Amino acid sequence: MDFFSIGLALACLSAVCGTILRVRKWFTRGKAMAGSTHHGPRSLRWAAGLADLILLRRTRGGLRRRGHALLILGFLPLLFLHAMDGVVTRPLFAAYEPTLDPWQFLRNLFGLVSLAGLALLLWNRTARLRPLSAAQDWALLAVVGGILVSGFFLESLKIMSEADFTRMADDYFPEAESGELLALKAYWAAENGARFSVFLPTAPEMLEQGAELHEDRCAGCHSPTSSAFVSRSMAALPLSPAMADRGRAAFWYLHVGLAFLGLSLLPWGKFLHPLSTGANLLVRGGSRNSQAQNPPPARGLGLDACTRCGQCSLHCSVAPIHTVMGNADILPMDKLSDLRRHLDARLSPVETGILAEGSHICTECLRCTEFCSAGIDLQDLWMTSKQMLSKAGRAGVDGEIRKSTAGEWAREFASGRLGAIGGTGAGLADQAESFWGCVQCTTCTGVCPVVAVSEDPSRDLDLTPQQIMNLLRMGLKSQTLGARMVWSCATCYKCQEHCPQDVPVADILYELRQLGAEVLREKEGRS
Amino acid sequence: MTYAYFPGCKIPHHLPEHGQSVEAVCARLGIALLKPEFACCGYPIRHENRDASVYSALRNLAMAESLGHDLMTPCKCCYGNFQQARHQTGNDEKLKSRMRNLLDEEGLPWPEAVRVRHFLQVLDAERDAVAAAVAHPLELKVACHYGCHALRPENITHFDDPLAPTIFERLIAATGATPLNWELRLECCGYPLRGRDERISDLLMAKKLVSAQASGADVLATACTYCQLQFGRDEGRIPAVLFSQMLGLALGLAPGDLGLADAALSWLGKE
Repeated sequence: MDFFSIGLALACLSAVCGTILRVRKWFTRGKAMAGSTHHGPRSLRWAAGLADLILLRRTRGGLRRRGHALLILGFLPLLFLHAMDGVVTRPLFAAYEPTLDPWQFLRNLFGLVSLAGLALLLWNRTARLRPLSAAQDWALLAVVGGILVSGFFLESLKIMSEADFTRMADDYFPEAESGELLALKAYWAAENGARFSVFLPTAPEMLEQGAELHEDRCAGCHSPTSSAFVSRSMAALPLSPAMADRGRAAFWYLHVGLAFLGLSLLPWGKFLHPLSTGANLLVRGGSRNSQAQNPPPARGLGLDACTRCGQCSLHCSVAPIHTVMGNADILPMDKLSDLRRHLDARLSPVETGILAEGSHICTECLRCTEFCSAGIDLQDLWMTSKQMLSKAGRAGVDGEIRKSTAGEWAREFASGRLGAIGGTGAGLADQAESFWGCVQCTTCTGVCPVVAVSEDPSRDLDLTPQQIMNLLRMGLKSQTLGARMVWSCATCYKCQEHCPQDVPVADILYELRQLGAEVLREKEGRS
Repeated sequence: MTYAYFPGCKIPHHLPEHGQSVEAVCARLGIALLKPEFACCGYPIRHENRDASVYSALRNLAMAESLGHDLMTPCKCCYGNFQQARHQTGNDEKLKSRMRNLLDEEGLPWPEAVRVRHFLQVLDAERDAVAAAVAHPLELKVACHYGCHALRPENITHFDDPLAPTIFERLIAATGATPLNWELRLECCGYPLRGRDERISDLLMAKKLVSAQASGADVLATACTYCQLQFGRDEGRIPAVLFSQMLGLALGLAPGDLGLADAALSWLGKE
């Protein structure tokens, strides 16, 4: 067993087992989200999904789209024709030799195309997506770039390597006399960029003899190295023959090792996106709207198909709220990642609170779904996960407040730590001017539609609007913060419009809810 | 006439027919709509965070300001929150300076000149032209539902007389239909309590629908995305119809262009 076989076996094992685990999660997570809802049959439009996949129809932005197109056009042929040549190219093409044209030329061409694509993607991420990027984004670029660059170095060092020449000559020209070997070396040094530690003649007759020997012994498997146009031009690097030999060995390990690393990382994070995103595009069948009845595995696949391209977060309708409140889970890309962790039961209670807050702030505007280059039905995921979190007792600020009675909240809000929050004295509820005019005429309560539909306001609402104003007037704010009236206010502003004394009743109720939300954030450790 | 068109978050997925019919009507009436990539108006987050709500609103207004056009929205709640945000920054210097800093960071101007218009106000300003463009007068009795957040508090929203508004009735009359006066026309639809207090939300909605039905109206007309979403949940009592769709039909637009399925046209009676 050598490095290559052991490395390949381990990388394949990691890739296969990891991918199986990932695919299993499509089912478990999908089921966890589905609850008991029934899913009807869906008609799939494979052709539209295939067109999305092949033509990169959903990949927005010139840099990203061109970058992906070039990388795919370059990397896929390299993967199949070069990396897997033993099982693909050699069986299919009888005269295949990696050092013969067109293969030698194509390898350089595809490598260059891939690198150009990768450069565009790196530019895109550096210039536009840096704040949204995480380690795995850079890791994928680094591994793919490393494979490509090390490949070019390896080939150029092989071209230069004296040890390789000697090994080949021993194998394929063992009977060579020293004069013949000298002529062949002279030819390879002059024509193919090989480097030797001995002085070589340059006389024309010597080179001619070398050319004949080359034609006889080497040309059957070797096209001129000039067709490896990238690697050959790199063979002009100022390296001694000894350095070239050492470098050739080192870069073989680097190139093959990085390829194995890439393969073994396939199931990790976005390394899987070439597979999971492709599958999701097919399953979505070209749809850009939200489908209410995604079956569980389709939901699970969608959860796993993110390419971290950041478009959802850049275009999110509630991004300005994120700017002010700072909760990362307000933005779709981070929310999706935390939703996965929540479904795997890997979020702490505080993190779950952060996810719940972000989920409930989402306004379900569909924009992330329209922008998603992976075609994920994010709208469906958000609407479903919001319900799921609510059912699990994470119904946002409103839900938390309703878990305790007004009296319990009053005691808590009056306690030192929470009571200090929002105590700036700058709010409407803190200023005597807000209530100076209040004569407790009960107009606000009388016009309130919420009070009107309640058979027993003191049971359903704890306090009426006018009672709240009275408590505030007496400086008893903590008594009001948990009252159902505050949280079940319909915000119709009738109280405020009708108040004969211009007390801003509805604005004050808004302020109390904002204060309650702030206190809860503090209490749950979210701020 | 050109406006920066602000549809609001609920239209694309939850009520696409509202956006479709507003755009179709505007196209027919020669009202040009610009569609920059607006974000949330800040209304839903107002319960939780004042700065986030005000900044969301001002950021959109600043975008419209840069375009050099007034902002038009078909949603009463978006309309109300824009007016609230302006009012609050006008009365709180500290808030105003925080907001100015945030807008500066995005390179956006302070929204000084831009006006916020509701779809009904835009049409009302051209009411004669609207009436003249009506090709198929509607023979309907209509109960107008006003929607709270544009109407109140009037000193902030500047929409219409908060106790006796007439703008909606004037426009209904322009379509050839007959507006009815009814008891609860200025009351809340109940949507703001959806997901917060479902029971009271249902009670508020049912009470209004019963009153609208008792008025003898054929349809309940709405001009707000949230109100329509609320009344659209109910089936059977009285059909709730978007004003933009009613006006579109009166203008002779095809039901399909207004997001109206044929099956949804039963309220149109003999037509």
